[in-house]
Amino acid sequence: MKNGAKALLTLPPAVYLFLFFAVPGLLMLLASFRFPGDYGGLAPWYYVEDGAITFDLTLENWARLFETTLYLQLLLKSLLFAVLTTAICALLAYPLALTIAASPKKHRDLLILMVILPFWSNFLVRIYAWMIIFSPQGALTEGLNHITGLLGLEPVNLMFSSVAVITCLVYVHLPFMVLPLYANLEKHDPALLDAAQDLGATRAQRFWKVTWPLSLPGLYAGAVLVFIPTLGIFAIPDLLGGTNGIMIGNVIKQQFVESRDWPFGSVLSLVLTGITLVLVVLAGRLGRTPGALT
Amino acid sequence: MRRRNPLVTSAAVGVYAFLYIPLIVVAIFSFNDSRLNAEWVGFTMKWYRQLIENDAMLQAAANSLIIASCAAIAAGVLGTLAGVALHRFRQKWLTALVLGPVAMPDILIGVSLLLTFMLMNISLGMMSIILAHVTFCIGFVAMAVQSRMAGMDDSLLEAARDLGASQWQSFRLITLPLLMPGIVAGMMMAFTLSIDDFVVTFFTAGVGSSTLPLEIYSMVKIAVTPEVNAVSTLLMLLTLILITALSRFSPQSLRS
Amino acid sequence: MKKLVTAVVLSLTALVSPAQAQKTLNLFNWNDYIADETVARFEQQCDCKVVQDYFSSTEEMMAKLLAGGGDYDVVIPTQNAVEALIKQGFLMPLDKSKLGNVKNMGPGFMNRSYDPGNQYSLPYAFTTTLIGYNENKLQELGIDPSDWRVIFDPTILAKIKGKVTVMDDSEELIAAALKYLGYSVNDTNEQHLKEAQAVILKAKPFWAAFNSSSYIKELTVGNIWVAHGYSSDMFQARSDAQEAGRPFTVGFVLPKQGAVLALDNMVIPKKARSPELAHQFINFMMAPENAAELTNIVGTGNPNAEAKRLIEPEILAINAIFPSEEQLKTLETISARNSKERRFTSRLWTEIKVR
Repeated sequence: MKNGAKALLTLPPAVYLFLFFAVPGLLMLLASFRFPGDYGGLAPWYYVEDGAITFDLTLENWARLFETTLYLQLLLKSLLFAVLTTAICALLAYPLALTIAASPKKHRDLLILMVILPFWSNFLVRIYAWMIIFSPQGALTEGLNHITGLLGLEPVNLMFSSVAVITCLVYVHLPFMVLPLYANLEKHDPALLDAAQDLGATRAQRFWKVTWPLSLPGLYAGAVLVFIPTLGIFAIPDLLGGTNGIMIGNVIKQQFVESRDWPFGSVLSLVLTGITLVLVVLAGRLGRTPGALT
Repeated sequence: MRRRNPLVTSAAVGVYAFLYIPLIVVAIFSFNDSRLNAEWVGFTMKWYRQLIENDAMLQAAANSLIIASCAAIAAGVLGTLAGVALHRFRQKWLTALVLGPVAMPDILIGVSLLLTFMLMNISLGMMSIILAHVTFCIGFVAMAVQSRMAGMDDSLLEAARDLGASQWQSFRLITLPLLMPGIVAGMMMAFTLSIDDFVVTFFTAGVGSSTLPLEIYSMVKIAVTPEVNAVSTLLMLLTLILITALSRFSPQSLRS
Repeated sequence: MKKLVTAVVLSLTALVSPAQAQKTLNLFNWNDYIADETVARFEQQCDCKVVQDYFSSTEEMMAKLLAGGGDYDVVIPTQNAVEALIKQGFLMPLDKSKLGNVKNMGPGFMNRSYDPGNQYSLPYAFTTTLIGYNENKLQELGIDPSDWRVIFDPTILAKIKGKVTVMDDSEELIAAALKYLGYSVNDTNEQHLKEAQAVILKAKPFWAAFNSSSYIKELTVGNIWVAHGYSSDMFQARSDAQEAGRPFTVGFVLPKQGAVLALDNMVIPKKARSPELAHQFINFMMAPENAAELTNIVGTGNPNAEAKRLIEPEILAINAIFPSEEQLKTLETISARNSKERRFTSRLWTEIKVR
């Protein structure tokens, strides 16, 4: 009876996810050792000749990763973009979360809703908004170039730059940082701060000795939630990045939908998977697991 | 109430401005009477009129709704089972399987499924998109259900069993109603994620299954006219209405 | 909950049913490659709906088709892609009895080596890949746009840094670089291809973006002064700029080193859902008035002999759209590459993008 219920509960989702999450992962691993098909897709990974099976597998795709430092550089650049995005998100989210947590209780829900609200507009709409703002004929660029002109500097181009990419990455991922941070800060016991004040701690001391260390789990959770999706993104560099703003996600996409080199695309995807796994495990160690995903 | 630092508060106000100004700009330019939309020319409603006549856009919106509804329902069922199973049996492998798709960057789910569909000879279309969306939605429903389970009072179940209820009866009459808010919240989350999804859909869409995000992407990439602004503004308005309605009828579902 | 589900199901059926009541032609086309007027007329004539998906490079189209997204009714591939698709066994033989308008096509465009006897494909339009530019800006700066140097030579690019886009298309961009170096666009010598890569990498820091889809708008607005792209797109950029009263004109010119000529064709995939409608569409597009519209509004070159008389003379006179005999000698079509060559260029291209 107990076993029947267990199977009933576990099997349907487990089978589904096995088929559409585990199997695709394994197929991708296999694909990374295969040759691309003549016109796209994959070449057969074995063929039968005179009754004998010959496997047609290769390490070439993985070797390509290490032949030049190019892909290492790409990876480092993507990591750098993700680190910067996470750091800026933290910098922006902290005062916001602090302010919301310090507001009267009845306002907090509304204030936090106001953080989530833009996040519910479509992802592409949010990117498009920055395409308008950064456009060379836009008010921002013209204003900036007016200033650079006065200073005798060369005009700047915001569109198609790393600045544009990172700004938009921050914009898109900010709520992921605010929410766990706020959830953490809200739980702090104000008595702690009062006690610190009674003991003569200055405002800065109260923050750095009490609030900051207590908020670290929230910050870590937020960091993971921002870092991982940022690393895999391709639409933002695609639309705002220009010739040198691309990240690993763009190259993966390129292998699958333009170059038709699925095996190499699989290699890059597996590298990204590896990094993600390391980060998730690391986050699990660092504090609580990122349970505050919603 | 705690004392506030004016510096921190003004920084917070600045961040709110950062969050809203871009969207306001999009909305304002949806009324711009210039196809190029480079500078402000004059007020017009014509982009909205054009939008209403845009069959491709309407079809894409219908596709998005169908996909999101199917994905939410399927993920609702599978995710509820998974959530209960996770809470009851606490198996590590199941946790990894259910939460894996939540943690992975979207692009990895997209390309690995593209590969799989191709190798399994599943042609790309509405079905492949739904299958893909369910994959990443299950985890969100499961989490919502699991956290609801964690807050549940086991004594209710014991009492039911003492009164002679079968396992199925106690599940249907006690567990399920208690889980309902979690399930609904999870399904709403799944619906939103599905309707907003661009990346996974990008890789798994086929002929005649374009969704709203794909349509917007192609407009942004190719023919940027204020129609993009108009559709964006309408979408924002819709979410705003939806959220206001939700906060009226079931404020607790928003909190999750 | 039950009510909710019922409501959802009901609204869904309401949404789906009108869509299915009407016949649909799924067309997979280059972006900006058919006039809205033409589509509307076809929809009226066949009492059907045309749903278009777009691609902006051959590679992108092939990837989509071969990944299992192949059940379009009509696709508009370039000649080398037609050849590859035929070899793949991807296409349906055309039923000529339903295509009476074949007689209108210019004999020079029929029976070509990529599809002898036009078993699978019929010509749609042709374009050249060239330089579109902001006439006023380039005049101001004293730059000659009729030379590939304008997108490849760093000494010239220094003056227009960040105001140039090139195609996000390995075939087209590498072909342009090969032409700039004086090689054939179909040169498969790996050393020459590497030279082309080097040229591209040297010029890349000066380019704003790789862009195959929105340079029409960027040129029209004035964000970009020089764009590498298709003749038809530049034609549209010019008319758009005129119409919007921009304070400059957009020009376009074939570089003197020569360029790529692309002959695009209509084909029907084997898996097409409504081949009947697909044949109707192909026949419709070969009717002189519809073919002429392709040139008059979209600005493509036209393989339809009967349509010539309906084409505005001033467009017929544009050399970049209808090249002269003299120019035709410098133009080349890209031929299909074997898988080894394709992998080599795809690798060069990835390196270009990553670096």
